[in-house]
Amino acid sequence: MLRIEGLRVAVEGKRILDGVDLEIAAGETHAVMGPNGSGKSTLAHVLAGREGYEVEDGRITFMGEDLLAMEPEERAAAGLFLAMQYPVEIPGVSNMYFLRQAINAVRKARGEPEIAAGAFMKMLREKAKLVGVPEELLRRDLNTDFSGGEKKRNEILQLAMLEPRLAILDETDSGLDIDALKAVAGAVNGLRTPERAFLVITHYQRLLEYIVPDRVHVMVRGRIRRSGGRELALELEQRGYEQFAAEAA
Amino acid sequence: MSSTIETLKEHTTGEYKYGFMTAVDEETTPPGLDEEVIRRISARKEEPEWLTEWRLSAYRRWLSMEEPDWQKVTYPPIDYQAISYFAAPRQKERPKSLDDIDPEIRRTYEKLGIPIREQEILAGVAVDYVFDSVSVATTFKNKLAELGIIFCSISEAVRDHPDLVRKYLGSVVPPGDNFFAALNSAVFSDGSFVYVPKGVRCPMELSTYFRINAAGTGQFERTLIIADEGSYVSYLEGCTAPMRDENQLHAAVVELIALDDAEIKYSTVQNWYPGDKEGKGGIYNFVTKRGICRGRRSKISWTQVETGSAITWKYPSCILQGEDSVGEFYSVALTNNFQQADTGTKMIHIGRRTRSRIVAKGIAAGRSDSTYRGLVRIMPGATGARNHTQCDSLLIGDRCGAHTVPYIEVKNRSAKVEHEATTSKISEDQLFYCRSRGFSEEDAVALVVNGFCREVMEELPMEFAVEARKLLGISLEGSVG
Amino acid sequence: MAAARRMIEPAPFYGELFARERARLPGHGRSELERVREEAFARFVALGLPTQKAEVWKYSPIARFANREMVVAEAAVPRLEDVSAWFGGGPATRRLIFANGHLVPALSHVGGLPEGVRVTGLVRAIEEWPEKVAEALAGCDPECSFTQLNTALARSGAWIEIADGVRLDEPLQLLFVHEGGESAAMTHPRILLRLGRGARLHLIETHAGTGDGHCFVNLVCQMALAPEAELTLDRLELGAAGTTLLSRTLVELAAGARIRQTAVALGGGFLRNETEVRLGGRGGEAILNGLCMPRGEEHADTLVRIHHEAEDCHSDQFFKGVVEDRARAVFAGKIIVHRGAQKTNAYQANDNLLLSDRAEVDSKPELEIYADDVKCSHGATCGDLDEGALFYLRARGLPREVAASLLVYAFANEVIERMADERLRALTRRAVLDRVPGGAALEAEGLL
Repeated sequence: MLRIEGLRVAVEGKRILDGVDLEIAAGETHAVMGPNGSGKSTLAHVLAGREGYEVEDGRITFMGEDLLAMEPEERAAAGLFLAMQYPVEIPGVSNMYFLRQAINAVRKARGEPEIAAGAFMKMLREKAKLVGVPEELLRRDLNTDFSGGEKKRNEILQLAMLEPRLAILDETDSGLDIDALKAVAGAVNGLRTPERAFLVITHYQRLLEYIVPDRVHVMVRGRIRRSGGRELALELEQRGYEQFAAEAA
Repeated sequence: MSSTIETLKEHTTGEYKYGFMTAVDEETTPPGLDEEVIRRISARKEEPEWLTEWRLSAYRRWLSMEEPDWQKVTYPPIDYQAISYFAAPRQKERPKSLDDIDPEIRRTYEKLGIPIREQEILAGVAVDYVFDSVSVATTFKNKLAELGIIFCSISEAVRDHPDLVRKYLGSVVPPGDNFFAALNSAVFSDGSFVYVPKGVRCPMELSTYFRINAAGTGQFERTLIIADEGSYVSYLEGCTAPMRDENQLHAAVVELIALDDAEIKYSTVQNWYPGDKEGKGGIYNFVTKRGICRGRRSKISWTQVETGSAITWKYPSCILQGEDSVGEFYSVALTNNFQQADTGTKMIHIGRRTRSRIVAKGIAAGRSDSTYRGLVRIMPGATGARNHTQCDSLLIGDRCGAHTVPYIEVKNRSAKVEHEATTSKISEDQLFYCRSRGFSEEDAVALVVNGFCREVMEELPMEFAVEARKLLGISLEGSVG
Repeated sequence: MAAARRMIEPAPFYGELFARERARLPGHGRSELERVREEAFARFVALGLPTQKAEVWKYSPIARFANREMVVAEAAVPRLEDVSAWFGGGPATRRLIFANGHLVPALSHVGGLPEGVRVTGLVRAIEEWPEKVAEALAGCDPECSFTQLNTALARSGAWIEIADGVRLDEPLQLLFVHEGGESAAMTHPRILLRLGRGARLHLIETHAGTGDGHCFVNLVCQMALAPEAELTLDRLELGAAGTTLLSRTLVELAAGARIRQTAVALGGGFLRNETEVRLGGRGGEAILNGLCMPRGEEHADTLVRIHHEAEDCHSDQFFKGVVEDRARAVFAGKIIVHRGAQKTNAYQANDNLLLSDRAEVDSKPELEIYADDVKCSHGATCGDLDEGALFYLRARGLPREVAASLLVYAFANEVIERMADERLRALTRRAVLDRVPGGAALEAEGLL
C-alpha cells in the first residue's frame, strides 16, 4: 500500500531525513519510534504533503501512485489521513460543518455522490459514539478551545468519518493522561480493519501497549536504524535510544 | 538582590545628583543664529569648505521648516535667537595626553563617576568625553587603532578621515529630514565617530559621555557609526547636566550604518536634568536617531533607558534595507513630576525577510505624561517580513497620563505583523507582597518597576544595567504616598 | 501655520448649493432652524475640508471625493421588489425606507407602535416639533466639518424616541438605497435617537448602493441613551463602486446604559465609518464589532473613539479587515480614559488578512489614558491566511481555493455572528460568500 524508498528531505537546507525506506501493507499497523528531532514528525508531514520540506531524493508510492506528485487534498482523496500532533483551531467554522465539507470534498474527488444530510447525521452520531465524542463538541467551532484530549479524540472522529486506507497518527499520545490515552487507543483499535493500515508515530512505547503494532521501526537522525516486532519497543523502553544513537554515530 | 535594594535606598534619598556646575573658563559664542555664526563655528573647528557649505545649506533649509507639533507634549515657544550655539572650555590646544586635561574637567567626570582613565573600573570601556560643544578626551584610542578601529571625536574625524565622513554624514538622516535635524546639521559642534573595519569585532564597549555645563547654551552633538562588513560594535551613551531654572535645548543627530553581516548595538542611558518638582527647568531632549541596515544579514539594536529631560522627543529607528536584516528597539521611558516624553521607534521594512522587534515599557508617575509612538511599515518588496511589538505602560498615581500611538502600515501579503499593548496601574498585590516581606513602599515600587522593565534592562551591557537600575529608583522618588 | 494645511477650503459650489437649497429644506422660514443651518454652514466653511495632513484622515483622501462638484440627490421611488432583498428582522419588523436620502412613505411602515414610542421621518418631526429638532441639531459635534454640512443640509432622516421603561421587542429597520447618478449626488440624512431610562431598542441599519454612477452619502446619527437604556445596532453596508459613504455615529451613554453595535462594510468605492461613544455615567458599556472586506479599488476606513468619562465603564472593540486586490483597509481606534474614570476596563482588537501584494492595511490602535486604576489593552495583527490552518483543511481533502475561502469566511464570521438579527446575519454571510472564490459552492453545501 505504501512504499518509501531512499527518502531524503531537508528543511531550510538542513537534512532531516537521510534515506528512509519503509513498506506498509494493507491491514498492518506499524510504529515509528524515535527521540525528539529524529525526523519522525517530518516523515508524517512529508507523507501528508505539507509545504516547506525539500524532498532531495527518493520515492513514495501510495496505492500504486506517486504520492509526492500529489497535492495534500489529492492525498486525502486517495485515502491518506494524518491525525495531527497539534490540530489547528479554526474559530468561526463548526466542527460538524467542517466534517461534512471534508467528506464531500473527498467523495467528489473520488467521483462519488455527496452524502445526504440525513445519512451524514446518522453516520456522525454513530461514529461520535464509537470514539466517544460528545454531541456538544460537534456543534462547537473546529478545535477551538478544545482540551488536549478533546482535540485528539476529534482527530480520531475525523479518521472514522473519512475512512482512509492509511492513517498516520503523529504523536497522538502527547499531552494525554492515561485515561484519555486508553480511550483514544480503544477508538483506534475499533477502526482497525483488514483493508486499513496504520502508521503510529510516537516517542514512548506507552501508546503501543494499547495499539499493538505488527512492526516497530526505530528512527534516529533521519534514518530507520532497526526494525523488528513488538518486542523492539520493549527493548527501547529498557535501554533507551542511546545505543541506537551510538550506532548511528 | 539585596545589593540592588541597598543601592536603590542610597539613591532614593538624594535628588538629581549630577546637578552641580563646574567652574571652568569657557568660550561661548553670543546668543543668536545666522549664517555668520555658522561660519564662525565652522572656522573655529577649522573645517573644510564642503562642510561649511553643507552646514549653510542645512541652515537655509531649516529657515523654511516648521517646528513639529504632532507630538503629545507642550512647551512654550523656543526662542532660537536666545540660545548660544557654541560653548567650549578655553584651552590653547587639544591636550596631547590624558594627563594634560584641565583638572576642573577631570574632577567633573570623577564626580560623575566616570573618571578619565584607562584603567580600573572602566578597563573594558573606551570613552569619548564631550563637555558642552567639544570632545575633551578619548580613551583607549591607540589600543583600538591597532585593530583598525577608528574611535574619535567627529571633529577629529573630519580632519583625519574626511572621505569616510563625507561619504556617510547625512546619508541616514538627511539635513532636511526634520526641523531639529536641520538645526543640528547647521550648528553641530562635536560628538563621536566610530568606524569598525571589515571582520573586526570591537573588543570593548565604546562610549560617549555627554555633559552640558555652560548656561544659556544648547548642545547639538552628532554621532556617526559605521560598521563595515562582518564587524560588531557595542556603543553606549550617557548624559547629564547641571540643575538650572531655565530650559536648555539638546538636539542631537545619531546615524548608524551597518553593512553586510555587521551588527551595531547602541545603548543609551539618558539622564539629562529633568527639571525640579514644580516642573521648572530641565533639558528639552529633541533627538533624531536612525540606523540603516544596508547590508544583508546586518543588525541594529537600540536600547534606551530614558529617565531624564523635561521633554523627550526621540524615535530611534531602523531602515531595514538589506535582505534578512534585523532591527530591534528596547525602551524604558520613565517620567515623574512634570516630565513629558513622546518616544518610540520606526521600523521600515524594505528588504526581503527583514525582521524587527519592539519592546517598549513606559512608566508614568506624578503629573507626567508618557507617550509611545511607533511606526511599523512593510514596503511592497519586503516579502516574508516580520514584526512583533509589545508596549506596556504602568501608571503610578492618578495625575499622570500614559498613551500608546502605534502606526502599522502593511503592503506585502506575506508579511506578518503583530502588535500588543497594555496599560495598567502598578499592582497593589505586588506592592503589598513586597511590603509584607519588609520592603518600604518606595523600595517596593522600585522593585516592581525594575521587574516590569526587566526585558529591556537585560539588553543593556552590564556596566550600564547597574547604573540604569539605580536611576529608575532615583527617578521614582516621591512618586508614592 | 501647520494647521492651515490640515484643512482646505470647500469648493465654491457648496456656497451656491446652500444658497439654492435652503429654501427647499423642511421647516424653511422657521427662524430657530434657519439660524442653526446658517451657523452650521458657516462653521463648515470655517473648518474647511480635511486633507491627509489631518491626523484622523491620514490614510483617506476624502477631499478628493468631497470637493468635486456635486448636486443634491433627487427623490426616487423604488419598487418593493427592489428593496425587499435587504430586509432584516421578521414579518412584523417596522421599516423606514429611504431612496437617495428621501423617505419613501409608500414602502415604509411604522404602524402599531406601543405607547411611548415615536418613529417618524425627519420632515414630519420638523413639522410637529421644530424647536425640539433645532435644539437637537444646534451645536452638535462642532469640530467635524461633515457633521456641520449635514446639519446645514439635512432634509430627511428619522426621529426615534422611546419613553422611560418602554421596550420595543421587534427590531426597527432603517433601509437606505443609494443610487449612483451621472453627476455625483449628495445626501445628508440625519438620524436622531433618544432612549429613555431603561428603554430598549434593536435597530437595523442597512445601506445598499445601486447603479453605476456616483453618490456621496453624509450620514449623521445622534444617539442619546438615558440611564439603563439599551441599544442594539446592526449595520450592514453593501455599497456599489461609485458609492462614497461617510457615516458618523455619535453616542452618549448615561449611567448603566449599554450599546452593542455590529457594523459590516462589504462594498463601496469609499467607505468611512466613524463611531464616537461617550461613556458619561458610571457602569456604562459599549461593545463595538466591525468587519470590512474591501476588494478591487475599494477603500474602507473605520474610525472609533471611545471616551471613558465616568468610573466603572466597560468597552470592547473587535474589528477585522480582509483586503484583496488593490484595496485598502484603514482602522484607527482610540480609547480615551479621562481623568477620574477609574476602574475602566477597555479592550480593542484589530486583526487583518492581507490577501494581495497590491493591497494595503493601515492600523492605528491608540490608547490615551489619564487615570491609573484601569485595565486597558489592545492588539493589532496583519498577515496572510495561516499556512498551518490551510494545510490542515487540505489534508482533510478540501481543495486549496475552497480551504482558503473557508478560512476567510471563518475569519469574517467571528464578527458576523455577533449581529443580533438572524436575517441580517444570513444576508451578510451570503454577501461575504459572494465575495470569495468558490463561495457559492460553500453556501450550497449548507454553510449558512
